[in-house]
This record gives sequence, C-alpha cells and structure tokens, in this order.
Amino acid sequence: MATAISAKSLTKEFGRREVLHGVDFEVEAGSVFGVIGPNGAGKTTTMRCLLDIIRPTSGTIRVLGTDPRAGGPELRRRIGYLPGELFLAGRVTGRTLLAHYEAISGPVPPGRVDQLAERLGLDLTRHIRKLSKGNKQKLGLVQAFMHQPELLVLDEPTSGLDPLVQQEFHAMVREAKHRGQTIFLSSHVLSEVQQTADTVAILRDGRIIAVESVNGLREGAVRRVRFTTSGIAAHDAVALLSGVPGVGHVEVLESDGTATLSATIGGDIQPLVRMLASLRLTDLVLEEPDLEEAVLTMYATPQEEAR
Amino acid sequence: MTALPLFRRAFFDTWRSTLGWALGLAAAIFLYLPLYPSIGGSAQMQDMIDALPPEMTKALNYDQIATGPGYTQATLFGLLGFLLMTIASVSWGAAAVGGDEESGQLELTLAHGVRRVQVVLERALALLLRVVLLAAVVCVLVWLLNGPAQLGIELGNLLGATVLFAGLALLSGTAALCVGAVSGRRTYGLAAGAAVAVLGYVFNAVGRQTKDVEWLLDVSPYHWAYGNSPVANGADWPAAGWLWAISAALVVLAAVALERRDVGA
Repeated sequence: MATAISAKSLTKEFGRREVLHGVDFEVEAGSVFGVIGPNGAGKTTTMRCLLDIIRPTSGTIRVLGTDPRAGGPELRRRIGYLPGELFLAGRVTGRTLLAHYEAISGPVPPGRVDQLAERLGLDLTRHIRKLSKGNKQKLGLVQAFMHQPELLVLDEPTSGLDPLVQQEFHAMVREAKHRGQTIFLSSHVLSEVQQTADTVAILRDGRIIAVESVNGLREGAVRRVRFTTSGIAAHDAVALLSGVPGVGHVEVLESDGTATLSATIGGDIQPLVRMLASLRLTDLVLEEPDLEEAVLTMYATPQEEAR
Repeated sequence: MTALPLFRRAFFDTWRSTLGWALGLAAAIFLYLPLYPSIGGSAQMQDMIDALPPEMTKALNYDQIATGPGYTQATLFGLLGFLLMTIASVSWGAAAVGGDEESGQLELTLAHGVRRVQVVLERALALLLRVVLLAAVVCVLVWLLNGPAQLGIELGNLLGATVLFAGLALLSGTAALCVGAVSGRRTYGLAAGAAVAVLGYVFNAVGRQTKDVEWLLDVSPYHWAYGNSPVANGADWPAAGWLWAISAALVVLAAVALERRDVGA
C-alpha cells in the first residue's frame, strides 16, 4: 500500500516555545486517519506543516510523495484543506466565494458544488457575513471536498455542525474513502472520529503517544451492559453474569421482584449474549464501547504503574 | 481557470469601498474648486492670506493660493484629496496581506494552488489599480471644473500632478502592505502607512520654515511630489519615478518576506 503522508521526527519551535517534539506517523493512501488530542497538543501545527503554511524546524515530511516546501501550487491543488479556525468574510454570496476557491484549486466537476451544498443543507445564495458558524463550516467543507482531491486535511471538521449534518459529513468521508481519497482529520475527542477513521493517532504535548487501528481498539474496548430480568433471584443472576468471561464490576441496581444488573464486559461479547439468551429479559442495554476510555486505560495506567 | 483570480477578488469584491472613496473625493472637489472665483482669486482673500503668519501659510501651502492652479494644488492635491487618498490606500494596503492573515483567511488561500509571491503581487496590483482609478476620477473632475471655476490649469500639468498624487498615495499604501506582510498584523501596516504620510507632511511643513531644517524636505515624500507645485508648474518627473520605484521595491520586499516566514503562527 502506498503512503499518502509521512512525517519523520517533525519538530517545530515558535521562538523558544517548542510545539512539536518529534512527531512521527504514516498515513496509508486510501485510508482515514484521525489525530486526537486536547487543544494545544499540536494537531493544527502538524496540519499546517503538511500544507506549507508553516515550516517545520526539523524533520521531514512527504505529502503525496512530495516535500510540501517543494511541491508548490501543483501539490496543493491535489489537497483539500479545512482550517481549524475557519474565518470567511466579505460581502459576497457563498457561491461567489466558492467560485473564487475553485479558481485557485484543482478542477471541480460541473454540478459538484450544488450537490455538496444540497447534501449539507447550505444555501449558496446567502451572503457570507450573514451565515451562522455552522453554515460557514459547511462552506468550508464544500471548498475542501469540491475538487475531489487525492488528500483531504480536515482540522476539527465537525465543529459547529448539528448531529444530522455530522452524519452527512461521515457519509461524505466514507464515500471519499471508497473513491480512493485519503482523509487526515483531527478532533479533540475520539468519539467523533471512531465512526469514520481506520486508524487513530493520539497526540499529546507535541508527541504522538499511540497509533492504533479503530478495530483493534474496539476489540479491546470495554462496554457497559445493563439488563432487567424476571423469574430469577438477583443473586442467581449475579452468579450467572459473573461466570461470563470478561465481565467485571457487576452491580445489582434493583432486586424487587425483577432484578436489574449492570456490569462491564471486555473482549468477545458472544458468551454474554449466550448467557442472556437463557434469561427472561424485560430490558437490555448494551452500550457502544467508549474507545476514549479504552485509550486512556491503555496509555494512562502503565504510566501510573511506573510511578 | 480564470486569469489573476486573487487580483479579481481583491479588486472586484471591494467595489463598494472604491466607489465610496471616489464619491468622497468627488465631494471634496465639488466643495472646494467652485469656490475659487469668490475666495482664492479675490483681493480680499489675498489680503487675508498676507495677514496670516507666514509660517502658517507656508505650512498649509497657502502661499500660492491666489492663482487657480495654486489654489487647486493647496486645497485639493495637497490637503483634502491627499488625506482621503492616503487613508484609502493605507487601509487597502494594510488589509491586503497583514489584515487577511490576522483574520485567518490568508491561511486558507495559501492552502490552495497559489504561490505566496503571486498573492502579494496580485493584491498589490489590485491596490495600484484602485489608487489609479481614484486619481483618474480626480483628474477628470478637476478638468471638468477647470473652465467653470476659472482655474486656468494646463492639461499637461494636471496630468503630471495626477501621476504624483497617485504615486504619493501609493507609497503609503505599499508601505502598509509591506509592513503588514512582514509582521502579519494589520495594525502595524496601518501605522507604517500613516507614518509615511504624516511624517512626509510634517517634514514638508517644518522643512519649509527655515534654512536650518531644510534637510527635512529631502526625506519628505510629500515634498518630493509637491515641492514645485506640479499643478502650477508641471510634474517633477524624477520625483514621480522615485515614488513609484520605492513603491515597487516595497512590494517586492513584501513578497520576499511572506515567502520566507510562517503564516498565522
């Protein structure tokens, strides 16, 4: 598999303040790569380096096989970029502004702008300064996606979008991936990228502290289960549940006629489902695994143990 | 692909601003020039000017106000027109790169298929054309009023003065653009542009007072342009060349500076 982005020992100093302390990562072509980290971790700085908006102090970058410093406009036409702090102004309509960006990016297929605007529910005839933050963000997404670039670099793409539009954005990312485009996106929370990303990198204080596949995280992640059953004593239900491999933190929430239990389950859920099938259930909740918690347990605990 | 996309955006998207300044300049012209026959040309006015302290008439360039060309030079090209043109040019120059970077929009533009040098040059071209457009409006309106207001200006002198008028405003504008591009701050650009204009004006006013401080005239762009009263006596073409050449050099400096530094950092 070809590499769309590679960064080696990337450092960046602003004056005396070092923001990146040797960032290393590779993004496979045609994959969705998410960078997670708190504000100030260096996500935006890393992305700006990819587009030659700022230049790294040391280290090497290859974007679509080229050094961004040498790639020039030809390279940037093959990239779609959404800045983290999008600011659009001017007394022009969305359509006029997009026509301007179209003139300075790669070729845009006819009808593509309208199609994207319609999907995101964006009115292109309105003046930019009258658009809400969410609508400006939609405009930013359209300009990043419209020329179907080989690489999309999206800094906090879902910020300001309502949940329905976020879903549409996730669909756009999946479609782009199917078309073979590479997507590099960032977020301060994992839950935002776990739906679309194949791989996540955790960036903290200017360093990548973990790179994991989302599937791997999902397998290792802990889910929360809660169910209500009738016709069985609470302590019997506890005994059955505790016998399932991977189950922990069993709690009885209610034992008044019906029994309500909660627990956590890590790893394979098949044994749990088999056990539950033998009960007379009146309610069952099996939550989506919280990958954020998975990452935190993976990378926070060893450090604390080391202390 | 359309030619000069950045120039087109900078030039056409600001048409309201350009029109506003043009109207302001037109208002200044229609306010001042028709009054010449009743003010500047009258003997009473000359008596009043003579009664003023000579330092003051020199500072305001009112020593030549008794003739039509001198009146036009002092009131329009030297004062109100100069002020309006300078403000327009400096505000456009400071916004072109520094203001755009400060607001966060430059980052997105540079992420597209453009070169930084191209960004500076196309926006400088938009600044240049807007300044030239305003100067042309002034030139045409003055020429239209030349007969009715009994100004007696020669066309050649008017054209020469217009070139200097535009060059002087452009110098402040490109200084603002350059400092904005070097610093990434709109305010620094505004300060630099205003400093060139204001210091130039003050050095001229002070330098004309006594021989001791005459050297101030040599460093005053205002004096380079207007030292010999171009509306009355024709343009000092080498001075015009200097104004335009320094502006060009400032634009080149802006392009080099932007090319070499981090944006939005």
